Amino acid sequence: MDDQPGLSDQYRMSSPWPLIVVLGLLFSELGLLFNVFPVAVGGLLLFVGAIAGIVLESGYADRPWNLLAGLGVALCVLGALVTVTQLDSVTLDAITTVVGQPNGIVGRGVELLIAGIVSVVIGAGGRVAESESI
Amino acid sequence: MVEAQLVLTALMGLFLAGVAVWLSRIEDWRSYTPLAGGGGAVGEESGYAHNEKPSGLIRWLTTVDHKDIGILYGVYSIIAFAVGGIMVILMRTELLTPDEAIIGSQFYNSLLTSHGITMLFLFGTPMIAAFGNYFIPLLVNAEDMAFPRINAIAFWMLPPGALLVWAGFLVVPFTDIQPAQTAWTLYTPLSAGVGTGTQAGVSGLGIDFMLLGLHFTGLSATMGAINFIATIFTDRGSDVNWANLDIFSWTMLTQSGLILFAFPLLGSALIMLLLDRNFGTTFFLAEGGGPILWQHLFWFFGHPEVYILALPPMGLVSFILPKFSGRKLFGFKFVVYSTLAIGVLSFGVWAHHMFATGIDPRIRASFEAVSLAIAIPSAVKVFNWTTTLWGGNLRLTAPMLFCVGAVSNFIFGGVTGVFTAAIPIDLVLHDTYYIVGHFHYILMGLLAFTVFAGIYYWFPIITGKMYQKRLAKWHFWLTMIGTNITFFAMLLLGYLGMPRRYATYTFGVGPQQIIEVLHQVTTLGAFILLVGQIIWVWNMIQSWYEAPTLQDNDPWDLKETGQFTNEWGWNERRLETAIADGGEEEEATMTDGGDPVDGSADAE
Ligand code: HEM
Ligand SMILES: [Cu+2]
Repeated sequence: MDDQPGLSDQYRMSSPWPLIVVLGLLFSELGLLFNVFPVAVGGLLLFVGAIAGIVLESGYADRPWNLLAGLGVALCVLGALVTVTQLDSVTLDAITTVVGQPNGIVGRGVELLIAGIVSVVIGAGGRVAESESI
Repeated sequence: MVEAQLVLTALMGLFLAGVAVWLSRIEDWRSYTPLAGGGGAVGEESGYAHNEKPSGLIRWLTTVDHKDIGILYGVYSIIAFAVGGIMVILMRTELLTPDEAIIGSQFYNSLLTSHGITMLFLFGTPMIAAFGNYFIPLLVNAEDMAFPRINAIAFWMLPPGALLVWAGFLVVPFTDIQPAQTAWTLYTPLSAGVGTGTQAGVSGLGIDFMLLGLHFTGLSATMGAINFIATIFTDRGSDVNWANLDIFSWTMLTQSGLILFAFPLLGSALIMLLLDRNFGTTFFLAEGGGPILWQHLFWFFGHPEVYILALPPMGLVSFILPKFSGRKLFGFKFVVYSTLAIGVLSFGVWAHHMFATGIDPRIRASFEAVSLAIAIPSAVKVFNWTTTLWGGNLRLTAPMLFCVGAVSNFIFGGVTGVFTAAIPIDLVLHDTYYIVGHFHYILMGLLAFTVFAGIYYWFPIITGKMYQKRLAKWHFWLTMIGTNITFFAMLLLGYLGMPRRYATYTFGVGPQQIIEVLHQVTTLGAFILLVGQIIWVWNMIQSWYEAPTLQDNDPWDLKETGQFTNEWGWNERRLETAIADGGEEEEATMTDGGDPVDGSADAE
């Protein structure tokens, strides 16, 4: 069921990913709720990475990169939405004021955005690197 | 502040690196351990020759086998049961005297809150999932659960959930953070941090932790439910069909349906509450949606939750009781129908928890009607259990004793529930110890009793050993007597007007002296219960480690009465392959369903 070419059948009743998915979600939620930047970003990265990993391992995907980038885009959209709610108007001025003096909600939006951007970069990078090596 | 951020960033980076190293080590083992035979590039199914799991701690951290996960769920739930139990022993000790003597009332309130949440979300729901995980795939002849990895994720959500729920207690010695004191119902505005009490600001962080923890356990339950539904619908063996699906699987299926509709709602309501607490929204504030909105959302989840905790135990009684009565479950179909009926009706009664809030009387009346109606399918089950026992060939083993005890307790719990469903009576009894007595007759009397019944009944399959029967009898009688002393005294306290959720009873609500005596009787009952559970834990641990390996494949003589169901068949095959390493023997499918598949002849 979960065999991959080249991977032996040994330990097919085990997977390291579930635990990591949970840790990722745990740190994301803690970090976002209490607005702790490193915990939130690290947790989100772990979470999306683990989802890509577990989907890959279960054989629902051949490569993790598209999924990773896709989840990154989702995080970016979410982060942007959260930030936009704090704007008085959608102008460059408003954006600079808010980002210059971020309140708690903008802080969370930025955490989501940064984690999203990093995921997109890794996903895209992985794609490029692998397409060259194959 | 900046330094703290830097340290945290470094720690988080280290942690991520650690995860990466761990992962690469595990992936290494998986890729480079040579196959036992063959040795081709593509792994083939090579029988029993290769290991399916790593050994030691890593096995338990990485397992996706439903039986291992079932054991993990079980051990976790029993630890939670012990924690919740110790909390309540402290509370009951405080209540020995009318005034604040041993623990302060704030600590009492914290214990009260955590006791409820621990027992419902960290013990009750996961313990049922423990049985489901271990036995549903065996009962329906499935290879494993439908989504083994999601199954593992669902389990691993629980330990962080528990730590978060208990976080207030863990940090209160070092910080200003207080454990939550909201009671398990989390009523706003108190839980929203309004006012000057300990539930807002820094000391209120305990509530935020607890809400996050609840969120985790809710996710866990939802993922588990999806898995049970998918397994029962799509992974049944070819010889298990809807007509012969066993009664425990039926109740798990219905329960999973309830979880699917109830828990996501709780999750959303929890997020709304978190937003109110931390982001300035006003969902449940008087100037916004209003506190009653919380009660509606909470109880729309909360009442189904009580059936989430009651249906599988009812299924366990229906499953185990006939095995020791020497006959099939009486009126199997009606037990299934009543399960489904309860499942549907349970979403239409939630406002019976809100009769005293001043909601529109016409709404109250309709909820009264549905609440009275739900008593009917509950009673159907009681009559079916009784008629199964009637004239049966009863064998009073420990699982049977706990089943009969559960039926008896459920009658008390159910009948007291019907009374509170009547508005005029509820207005008198609401928020008194009567309510506490009512639901404990069901949660302790039915849920915990059937958990014990299930553990004793399947102990030979899970451990390959037999428990010590004398100790089990002691456990039963102490638990039965303790439960009835404790919770009957609570019913009486409620009649006398003793309000629930108080650390003291120096205020004059009724006859002081009788109330004091009844409180002491309740505490006595709780201590009897404690002794019984210590005996049980001892019995389980000692028997698992030291009992001789069981040679008998049919320790309950189920073959005699044609009730040797699938999970025992699986166990027998496992033992025979272990001994002889021989081929598969012929299988006669035997569920305990209504209609036999291959004719009942081959069971005799
Ligand atoms: C025969 C069917 C039942 C009826 C008619 C019934 C009725 C009620 C009513 C009207 C209340 C609210 C009382 C009040 O707060 O004033 C209540 C409370 C409660 N019931 Fe039941 N009940 C039934 C079965 C159950 C079952 C099967 C369970 C648990 C598995 C259960 C658990 C609870 C709990 C936990 C509470 C207290 C909630 C709280 O305020 O903390 N009930 N019941
Ligand atoms: Cu209810």
